Amino acid sequence: MTTLRIDGLTVTFANRPVLNELNLVVPAGAFAAVLGPSGCGKTTLLRAIAGFIPPFSGTIRFGEQLVSVSSIVVPPERRKVGYVAQEGALFPHLTVAENIAFGITDNKIKSELVAELLQLIGLSKFANRMPSELSGGQQTRVALARALAPEPKVMLLDEPFSALDAALRDELRAEVSELLKSRKTTTLMVTHDREEALVVADVVALMRDGQILQTGTPAEVYHNPISAEIAISTGDVLLLDSTKDEAGKINSVFTPTQLSPSALPGKLVIRPEEIKITAAATGLSAKVIDLDYYGHDAVVHLDAAGARVDVRIAGPVELKVGDLVGLEHVGPIRWFPN
Amino acid sequence: MTLTQNTAAPSRKSAGGVAVPKSLSISAVAVILLASIPLGYLVIRATGSGIAVAAAVIGREKTVTTLITTISLALLVAFFALVIGVSSAWLIQRTNLPFSSLFLVLGTLALAVPSYVSTYAWIALIPNFTGFAAAVLILTLTTAPYVLLAAIAALRRIDATQEESARALGLGPTQVAKRVIWPQSRPTLLAAVLLVLLYVLSDFGAVSLLRVDTFTRVVHTMYKATYDRSAAAVVAMVLVLLAAVLIYAEQRARGRAVAAKSGLGTIRTAAKIDIGNKKYVAVAYLFVLSTASIGVPIYVLVTRFIAVSNDLDISKLVSAAAATVTAALAGALLAMLFAIPLGLLAARYKSKVSTIAESAILVTHALPGVVIGLALVALGSKLGFLYQTLPLLAFAYAVLFLAKAVGSVRTSFARVPRVFDDISHSLGYSNWQTIRKVTIPIAAPGVITGFLLVFLTAMKELPATLMLRPTGFDTLATEIWAATAISQYGKAAPYALLLVLIAALPTYLLSRPDRAQVDQSRENVGL
Repeated sequence: MTTLRIDGLTVTFANRPVLNELNLVVPAGAFAAVLGPSGCGKTTLLRAIAGFIPPFSGTIRFGEQLVSVSSIVVPPERRKVGYVAQEGALFPHLTVAENIAFGITDNKIKSELVAELLQLIGLSKFANRMPSELSGGQQTRVALARALAPEPKVMLLDEPFSALDAALRDELRAEVSELLKSRKTTTLMVTHDREEALVVADVVALMRDGQILQTGTPAEVYHNPISAEIAISTGDVLLLDSTKDEAGKINSVFTPTQLSPSALPGKLVIRPEEIKITAAATGLSAKVIDLDYYGHDAVVHLDAAGARVDVRIAGPVELKVGDLVGLEHVGPIRWFPN
Repeated sequence: MTLTQNTAAPSRKSAGGVAVPKSLSISAVAVILLASIPLGYLVIRATGSGIAVAAAVIGREKTVTTLITTISLALLVAFFALVIGVSSAWLIQRTNLPFSSLFLVLGTLALAVPSYVSTYAWIALIPNFTGFAAAVLILTLTTAPYVLLAAIAALRRIDATQEESARALGLGPTQVAKRVIWPQSRPTLLAAVLLVLLYVLSDFGAVSLLRVDTFTRVVHTMYKATYDRSAAAVVAMVLVLLAAVLIYAEQRARGRAVAAKSGLGTIRTAAKIDIGNKKYVAVAYLFVLSTASIGVPIYVLVTRFIAVSNDLDISKLVSAAAATVTAALAGALLAMLFAIPLGLLAARYKSKVSTIAESAILVTHALPGVVIGLALVALGSKLGFLYQTLPLLAFAYAVLFLAKAVGSVRTSFARVPRVFDDISHSLGYSNWQTIRKVTIPIAAPGVITGFLLVFLTAMKELPATLMLRPTGFDTLATEIWAATAISQYGKAAPYALLLVLIAALPTYLLSRPDRAQVDQSRENVGL
């Protein structure tokens, strides 16, 4: 079990910083997800950890081992990292078994280990197939087995599920995270899919413009985001214009109060499931203007005194467009200045 | 724990931060230096007697008339090849022309007939077939297939939905052709035309047999007739400069020839246009063209061959074939040996060295066979032990076909994505182990195909072979040349037939535009 520790990591391309003094710790055996939009530098982070690109400054440690400090770098082949690229990137000239065996140096255990890993990913019958004969999900499984074979200290996953269709993606990522957690392999996955990050990871790190802005458990980053921006990136939000005075009193459509003119303008951040729809008499009155029905739940779009409010409710849905209802805010107060 | 010093600052690295392995840079530089020998020596020879002497040679009336002849021949051929190539491509690809796939195959097969074989066939058929107009005809027939393939590839790349969208926006068929198809095909066609110009500039066989004084023939005559090779070198330099201008323009045009596809999904080609009764005219037109480009050579070769088949000197034919294979094999092996570091560099690393390598390859592309022949004859006679030896001939082939070899190596290595390197490294393999276990196995089929192409092209090479072959080393090409030059047309037939047969199969297989994009067919076939 290896703790991954990154301090002050800066990587530049053509004199432009892609990673900017980035700090991140992944505890030993944890499954961490780096969540960020495309272009934020998350793949660069992964490639720097793997040793494919040299950092400009900063340090990367695998446990006690310093693998990268400014201009001195351990080459990737000596780092013992596992790397699963987008769409698997299986070697097209090798069979499934040969792909998995690629990184195993001990010939005595090779065939045994390959058989074991094939069993683990449920593809024992496919040992002699070529990668082109596999489905996308099978390719991802083989890529994972190949990366696991040399028992890496740190496993790096670069959006491994993004090329798969929705149903397969859910199933495979549950399978993969379970497998990696059971082997206690320290894992870092980068993704732009917020649901994926929250579902599979023990630790979620939110990345923007080459920096990690917040790190925490999925529940922490979802419920206690440090900014409105992070709240948006971890789930659907309702942003309500709101003001707050020095005493901490908040004025919003849910809690209309008269505040002094010096009160700060800002946003109240509410998750769609933190609003309760009640009978028309109580709370903030609103009118149903649209319904998005998803089956297991639904999102109700409402007009509350001119403010657009979206509420997620569990099915079955009794409401219809035009109904008058009351809204009650039942979640925590998250207020951020503009 | 082992640490390696990472010397260059990351910010100075290429995109992706990949450093070029030192051994690769060194071998690439070595190849560039070797490949620059012919041109370098030519420059030294041309300027050796002083700039004034060189200027006097350029100012000669003969040089000026040669320049005019060469340029007008090239321009006329390019014009006719463009008209014929584009019109045939449109008929084959976009109309309900009967036998359209047959005409495409015939057009492609015409590439297998070297210009000197085609010339030989016409001379054997029509006794007084000679001069400028004859050269225009032969070279047009030889080069029109390049334009045909490029135009077909361009037409196939344009998604039918683009044309349909244009029609839906109110454009008529002529407007669609003008505003949708032409702008997208123009770069490809321009590149093909420049290639035709380059072909005419470097062609030696046809113009020599037809006694048209273009630069290649004049250089060869000067080399044969006098010992003043400095003057020949000066004239050759003018030719190289002309070719270099074309190469530069071709690269510019190719750089802009981007895929016309936007969005995802496969390209759907447009429905064929019904041209009604005009299709009989179209069939007649393509029939005449195919007859002229491939029918006449085949007819002459076969009839002449039958006429001489009774007293055929089999042993001489076999020894010529063996000599052809030996020289071409040696040249192709050397070319691939040279091409691998350069192609690898160009495909996988963006660096100063790879930029220099690409330009150096282009420069060798601008050296016609007769120029490389001249330079190496002059150099070889200085270095007595190399003069008229097989290694020097192989070296000439290697330099002559370096651009083609590098092209196929580059394409093959570009097919191995960098992520495979990353994964191999993460699984514990070093750079060299990765190249051996991952890169080479994946790239090998493409590299081997490239090798075969260079090999086959080298078998057809004429001028450098004539000038550099060891005494008594007769190849198929030199036998055809020697027999035709003294009007012994029957004698040339078996050699020519064998050469065309050898060249036809791979030409057909590798230039089908549905498989090979126009870039590949341009790199692979002919030049």
